[in-house]
Amino acid sequence: MLKKRVIFTLLYDDGFFMLSRNFRLQKVGDLKWLKKNYNFSKLSFSIDELVVLDVTRGKRNQDKFLDHVRALSEECFIPIAAGGGIQDIVYAHQLISNGADKIVINSLISQNIKTVQHIASELGSQCIIASVDVKKIKNDFIVFTENGTKRQTFSLDDYFYKLMNVPVGEVYLNSVDRDGTAQGYMQGLIEQIPGNYKLPIIISGGAGKYQHFMEGIKNERVDAVSTAHLFNFVGSSLKEARFELLNEGLALAKWDMSICESMQGFFECESNTKG
Amino acid sequence: MGAIIHNSMIKSPPKVHLIDYGVGNLWSVASAIRYLGAKVDIISDPDKISNSSILILPGVGSFRKGMEALRNNSIDQAILHAVRDNDSKILGICMGMQLMGSSGTEDGQTLGLGLIPNTVDRFSKEKLDGKKVPHVGFNEVNFNERSGLFRDFSTTHDFYFTHSYRMLVDGLNGNYATCSYGETFLAAFQVDNICGTQFHPEKSQTNGILLLRNFLLN
Repeated sequence: MLKKRVIFTLLYDDGFFMLSRNFRLQKVGDLKWLKKNYNFSKLSFSIDELVVLDVTRGKRNQDKFLDHVRALSEECFIPIAAGGGIQDIVYAHQLISNGADKIVINSLISQNIKTVQHIASELGSQCIIASVDVKKIKNDFIVFTENGTKRQTFSLDDYFYKLMNVPVGEVYLNSVDRDGTAQGYMQGLIEQIPGNYKLPIIISGGAGKYQHFMEGIKNERVDAVSTAHLFNFVGSSLKEARFELLNEGLALAKWDMSICESMQGFFECESNTKG
Repeated sequence: MGAIIHNSMIKSPPKVHLIDYGVGNLWSVASAIRYLGAKVDIISDPDKISNSSILILPGVGSFRKGMEALRNNSIDQAILHAVRDNDSKILGICMGMQLMGSSGTEDGQTLGLGLIPNTVDRFSKEKLDGKKVPHVGFNEVNFNERSGLFRDFSTTHDFYFTHSYRMLVDGLNGNYATCSYGETFLAAFQVDNICGTQFHPEKSQTNGILLLRNFLLN
């Protein structure tokens, strides 16, 4: 049986990792900070997948972002999805060759479907995650692109019908309203997805404690739950959250976290460390 | 999980040669090997491959393109020489494992390296029962054997898969582990010095790290 997933999403803006609230960004720290104060390599043993998004509000520096993806992938033994500002096949390839296993696209779906098809023909559609940002306006769920700045004309369910003809492997559904609020995932969001839409769904926006993950995962239409909240899951809380979810009997993958230390440097023999 | 063996018996860190034939993400495999404290060199020169004692053959993409890339650069002969004549050990990962088979049907019928007799075919449609292909994600792997490549494992562990084609167990003369996705398929195997995993150990947390350690300890 395929397992459900807990995903951590890192938001990146020009060399820094960010905290986002309703898509307004706040600088938290750089890669060094993340590795040192956050013990990222250890934290990654508590998640099933990592998503890294370049949400730079100004001009993106792609080479710099690629360096960050590569550095993260060095200490993280799970699938990594990376995206933000992908406009062509060349950059999609670069992300993959710098440690990403999947790429994440959003605005490109509305801007240039041909490029999406080209990327899918080269990398396979299973390598592509369609990210969908949605805001609730009155009682309608409306899709926004371009870092949440551009309102699209269609509602969420219409967008899903459109997505049925787009070669992607899964959908990352993010609530702008709940983003960074830690109030729980947006109610009613999953119900907007047409019943005949069969691809895996990742939900994001609003998780602040493990109970939110639990509510998300228990929904049979949800394959994965994500959080981008750096502070709510700092320290051991992500590890504890995973423990609680497994305790509840939820179908997550299992591995023995306690052996990561004995495995690290396993083959560095005494003569090697001395010499 | 069984008792983890101590590393005090290790004389010097093993050196792994990761075969670069233009297919797949080498970075993650190299990182996982380095995490274990072993050394990694990424190589594509057939002479170096012939003389290597520990090889890893990664791979993503179609079987036909993979075999073409190996043949065009005579890497296929170098691998066969190392494994058959020098007793070098080899681990094939994902499509790298599939290429070790006798033939594959992806993108047209193509002969493989023939290190094991098994063939590579698409997941059987009738047996999938509505399940999606590719098979992507963490899934349960069942171990019958607990030695060699599978040392310190118990009966079931989760590993990360992403593939549309699979090998079946029939005909394999060695130790193996299986996974079920509509049908039971070959998830990992060891036949003497020849090992393969359909899953990605470098993407399977400590389960994968442990398996890679076992491969190097063997």
